[in-house]
Amino acid sequence: MKVQCELCPKNCLIEPGQSGECRVRINIDGVLRTVVYGYPCSINIDPVEKKPLFHFLPGSPILSIATVGCNLHCENCQNWEISQANPEDGNISAYYCPPEKLVSLAKANKCPSLAYTYTDPVVYYEYTYDTAKLASEAGIRSVLVTAGYINEQPWKKLLEYVDAANIDLKGMTDDFYRQVCKATLKPVQQALILARAAGVHVEVTNLIIPTLNDGPEDIRRLARWVKVNLGGETPLHFSGFYPRYKMRNLPPTSLKTLETAREIALSEGLDYVYIGNLRSREGENTYCPGCKKLLIDRSGYTIIQNRLTNGRCPDCDKEIYGVWK
Amino acid sequence: MTRRKFIQKLIGTGSAIIVGASWLINKTSPRKFLRAVRLKRYPGTIKEIGDISKQSKWSG
Repeated sequence: MKVQCELCPKNCLIEPGQSGECRVRINIDGVLRTVVYGYPCSINIDPVEKKPLFHFLPGSPILSIATVGCNLHCENCQNWEISQANPEDGNISAYYCPPEKLVSLAKANKCPSLAYTYTDPVVYYEYTYDTAKLASEAGIRSVLVTAGYINEQPWKKLLEYVDAANIDLKGMTDDFYRQVCKATLKPVQQALILARAAGVHVEVTNLIIPTLNDGPEDIRRLARWVKVNLGGETPLHFSGFYPRYKMRNLPPTSLKTLETAREIALSEGLDYVYIGNLRSREGENTYCPGCKKLLIDRSGYTIIQNRLTNGRCPDCDKEIYGVWK
Repeated sequence: MTRRKFIQKLIGTGSAIIVGASWLINKTSPRKFLRAVRLKRYPGTIKEIGDISKQSKWSG
């Protein structure tokens, strides 16, 4: 009997013995099974700035995991070796690490939070959900790094146990999503709005790919959408593209393009706009939107100085959006 | 055929068609799942958890 997976907007109709587009949700005897539950292919402690999250417990370590598989197939994927892998592929091994073990690893390594990242936590939904629930009971916070391509009902359920999310907004047209990611734009926008409405700390990442989404109008449209729908205080990260996977024909994004994008987003009224994947002094730091003074001085993923006092600017007392303790 | 017999036949035939059609629809339409059931055995290779303190090579 066929099964239909209603987790993400692809709503895959899966024949017996076959998997959905994500490769990790399989129809076995008419029952939808997740094959990666408890089997991450990567477990590492990263700085939280690497996610990137710049307004969430700055300078703290975060236990980060991923399983193989992804429901998107971005031609520029930086992690395609794991995101587009099948669990049974011999070249990517997994660890056995059930939710209880993950939570105890986070505690043992003094990580205040756990990140579901690298591929997309949507495809290992049940593992993410159970771990986040357990982590929440143990006082460990949960962070999603995701493309946000998920149906409303499971997303709302998961958000109950999520503290922060960095959600990719990869472009502002359906054409871009269809051509580059084999997905659609609307569900991602909806996921962003729902996450913010659920009280989750949200930061947005936009990867700028030369010739595809690097025009000033693309940037302006994206910044406006973020401001109107998520609020001007939402941190926005512009990341530089590197030729990878199926998109090796385009050049890397220049620092100038990223700096121009940052200027446009700031001029559109966003308070915190950052540059990632390329070093940029101003684009790495947090400045007070009120008095413009430097608040958090960063060098790559390292915090050089954090001047925030109880989440406020020490000079003008403006409250700064984020989770600071 | 009396009117009563005709109506009985009509109801019987109609019921049979409805039951048959429901069975067919149920049989051919997919079962819908939001939450997948955990598969106990991983189909790939398993390794021991090593040093997790190093930053991941993966992006994100």
